Amino acid sequence: MTASPAAKRKPGKLTRRNTWIAYSFLAPNFLGFFCFTLIPVLFSVALAFLTWNGGSMSRITFAGFGNFATIFKNFNFAKTDLGITLRNTVYYTFFTVPLTIALALALALALNRAGRGAKALRAVFFFPYVSSIVAICMCWRFMMMKTGLINQALAVVGISVNASWTQDKNLAIWSIILVSMWRNAGYYMVMYLAGLQGVPAELYEAATMDGANGWQKFWKVTFPMLTPTTFFVSVMMVINCFKIYDMVAIMTEGGPGRATKMLVNYIYDMSFVSPKYGVASAVAMVLFAIVLTVTVIQFRAEKKWVNYM
Amino acid sequence: MKKWLAMLLCAVLVCSLFSVAQATEKKVLRVATWDATTTAYLDATKAAFEASHPDITIEYVDLPAGTEYIVKLTAMLTAGDTVDVFDVKEVANMPALLEMGAMENLDAYIQASGFATDKYAGMDKCYTDAAGSYYALPFRNDFWLLYYNKDLFDKAGVAYPTNDMTWDQYADLARKMTSGTEGVDKVYGTHYHTWRSAVANWAVCDGVNTLIDGEYSDLKYFYDLAQKLEDEGVCRTYNDLKASGLNYRGGFEAGDIAMLPMGTWLISTLIADRDKGEVKFNEFGLATIPHAEGVPVGSTFGSPTGAAINVNSAQKDLAWEFISWRSGAEGAKAHASVGTIPAYVSEDVAEVVAAVKGFPGDAGSKAALLPTAVYLEVPVDPHASEIRTIVDEETNNIMSRAVTVDEGIANMNERAAEVLGE
Amino acid sequence: MSVQTVARRANGRAFGILGKAALYAALFLLACVTLIPFVWMLSSSLKLDQEVFRYPMRWIPETAHWGNYVEIWRKIPLGTYFQNTVAVAAAVTAMQILTSSFAAYAFAKMQFRGRDALFLCYIGTIAVPWQVYMLPQFIMMRNIGLYDTIWALVVLQSFSAFGVFLMRQFYLTIPNELCEAARIDGLSEYGIWARIVLPLAMPAVATLFIFTFVNTWNDYMGPLIYLTRDANKTIQVGLQRFIQSFTSDYHLIMAAALCSLIPVTILFLVMQRYFIEGIATTGLKG
Repeated sequence: MTASPAAKRKPGKLTRRNTWIAYSFLAPNFLGFFCFTLIPVLFSVALAFLTWNGGSMSRITFAGFGNFATIFKNFNFAKTDLGITLRNTVYYTFFTVPLTIALALALALALNRAGRGAKALRAVFFFPYVSSIVAICMCWRFMMMKTGLINQALAVVGISVNASWTQDKNLAIWSIILVSMWRNAGYYMVMYLAGLQGVPAELYEAATMDGANGWQKFWKVTFPMLTPTTFFVSVMMVINCFKIYDMVAIMTEGGPGRATKMLVNYIYDMSFVSPKYGVASAVAMVLFAIVLTVTVIQFRAEKKWVNYM
Repeated sequence: MKKWLAMLLCAVLVCSLFSVAQATEKKVLRVATWDATTTAYLDATKAAFEASHPDITIEYVDLPAGTEYIVKLTAMLTAGDTVDVFDVKEVANMPALLEMGAMENLDAYIQASGFATDKYAGMDKCYTDAAGSYYALPFRNDFWLLYYNKDLFDKAGVAYPTNDMTWDQYADLARKMTSGTEGVDKVYGTHYHTWRSAVANWAVCDGVNTLIDGEYSDLKYFYDLAQKLEDEGVCRTYNDLKASGLNYRGGFEAGDIAMLPMGTWLISTLIADRDKGEVKFNEFGLATIPHAEGVPVGSTFGSPTGAAINVNSAQKDLAWEFISWRSGAEGAKAHASVGTIPAYVSEDVAEVVAAVKGFPGDAGSKAALLPTAVYLEVPVDPHASEIRTIVDEETNNIMSRAVTVDEGIANMNERAAEVLGE
Repeated sequence: MSVQTVARRANGRAFGILGKAALYAALFLLACVTLIPFVWMLSSSLKLDQEVFRYPMRWIPETAHWGNYVEIWRKIPLGTYFQNTVAVAAAVTAMQILTSSFAAYAFAKMQFRGRDALFLCYIGTIAVPWQVYMLPQFIMMRNIGLYDTIWALVVLQSFSAFGVFLMRQFYLTIPNELCEAARIDGLSEYGIWARIVLPLAMPAVATLFIFTFVNTWNDYMGPLIYLTRDANKTIQVGLQRFIQSFTSDYHLIMAAALCSLIPVTILFLVMQRYFIEGIATTGLKG
């Protein structure tokens, strides 16, 4: 949030009368926002301290920290539901973020150099991002079958995989990582393309005069200049990774066993399958805490960057 | 102008009268169930009930099948939906539904109408609360059988499965029936659907073990057997089935599977699909589920399906009329007429089912309809649904070969102990 | 633009024709990999069920069974699904554009008490993942009787803070002098919004339009939670149900899947520019 010139303007004399007009502008959106976003957000905090198994409201009891005690009981990254889903989500995030960034950056750099056809290619790379999630996840699941297209292609280059990706305890999570890379790289590529516009050409000229080669130029000029973009992109991606649900639900259903069950799958199960509203909300609070931490780090760091740039 | 207006008014009045008259003429009873468009017995019971109750129309509210059913049903009921009757798909859902307070207490209705609850071989007890009050009535009672493709056995010149096989004999028969090469003319000796019930639930057939006893070493034999058959190429692998999402019905109907352990609900579906030309072979047959050493011949597992009255229903007497009819002798006949096993026990049910057009004509198949004992797939227990999730997840772990059978069973024991110890 | 060309020229020297050829080859290869799933989908949708998983696979089926595309309309209520999805997406998009562009005007072009606090409140909820409050939201909707109606999805997605934020960012780039001049000319605030600010903000509206429409179209979890009856389902959950239902018709699944892609694809091809510009501007100025 950069401070806008408008915000810095001193209040005019029309301010008071304008207040009501301003509220009238805000009202339609704010009422909906208040009822369907703000209240549920507050409600979710309250819910985490209640015991409620989905029945009538008369059966609600106060649980204190009981729900948190339940999910953290015997906490273990290999055994308890919270531990496993946290571990899986972190594992997924840990690999997806850098790999997608690398791919997106490579695509952006290449497209930036390509002259003719760059626009068409950009559209191609971006397209997976808008494609219907159920359709493409289904398609990938079929292509990743034991004798499917992916394994056939890998066999050609001498890698033999004798398993269906979504059913193998080690490959299952990678099937999700790869598909989400495929789906999202184009989106972040566009951000990098925008970032690249902001790199001044003089820097490259100076580097060329100093005799730097392409590789050195990338590490000494391009990459440092793109740091704000990279930072923003990675924060966004980390948050999105923690919210993953659909891909897992369609491709692996959290399996095999609980090998790809993510934090949101756990929340979903506790909310709608079991249902244990209090426990679900306690897990949701864990998710919230993580996302909040990442956001706060972003805020802090962004301020720093704004200062020295 | 005035004349026109008057005429218009009259027309509106007549129309509204007409619509009111129509509305009072037929009462609509809404029943929540699943697969309403493809399930033969739902059509049959609707037709029979409407024939004997001309003033009532049954309207099915179609919810998703599988484990999603209870999720959606719960959401609907807690949202205050006024659907009159809803089907309780699995008895394991009873504790949760009771806890929700979604079902009408049926004791008064039973007393008033003199409904006989002793016709269900004890299955009615699945639908009572701790105090013994009734909240639902069973109308269907499915148990598991061994289906086989007669065409394949005839072609291979192998004798049909019998009603007294052990699991080892069954495995040998499956091996004998396996032939051909994948993608060309492969015949699979048997087929395990990806459910826990199809792979390992057989351990409860001894009447001693249950799925919530917290001790799962009794399942080992069945996991080992299924994995051995997979490795020998006798059945499709669990992983392939999961990845492709192949459904047992489509798989069996395609005609390359010799045997299939499955519930009795498939009988009516197979008969109906054969009429529609969707079954790619001529004759199927039925045998009782094989037994483990030391377990009496002819015991199997199953579970009843019941129906309850929604507490929010506006026409509870009508709803009672329907569910008591559906669970009674008349309803039983309607179910049996399409090959579905009703919960109402009477000697001629097997006769009626066996007489359905399209039911296999041999004596063995008919005899398979009369198991000596049917144990509950999952017993009614407050922990049932949680334990079932654990066993399902670990079955998935074992069958996808993420863990060994022993590790998986150790996990089950450990996780179940935590739940039961609460 | 010129900056970019200069940069390109500067790099060009070290690059050479060989490098350029390699670059294009690599890009072309990657483009092919990106598109493979779609081609596979098309190819499979024209086969017969048992052909789909045949090993090794054929890209071009022996005979193309276009009839599959007729068959799916008979097998599943695809028409209903499409209708529902279009209804939800259109309603959400319209509401979103209308209310956001309205509210953003107050945030960007007006002075009033509590503005910054309120805006912070909006921004704050962007940081809260929907998954955190989906359950309380669900409980609320259910209690006001919106369960299993597409209205649940409409009110769910119509008032996102994101839209307000996006519009506000764009409004800030519109010079305040324009508004001041209009005020002096006697135009009311509503008039300024309708006649000056909104017309100038059309690119942002287009961006918001395509973002909202595509997101709503592809939304899976919302309909999964809220919709039960077939008559109410959107295409994503409808497709999922088709896959899970008693079938082994993989060719039909792929044909239906491909159909679900078509509307968004057309929209993307037509409005690509707004999409890409939208990401570039909203993303980085956050």
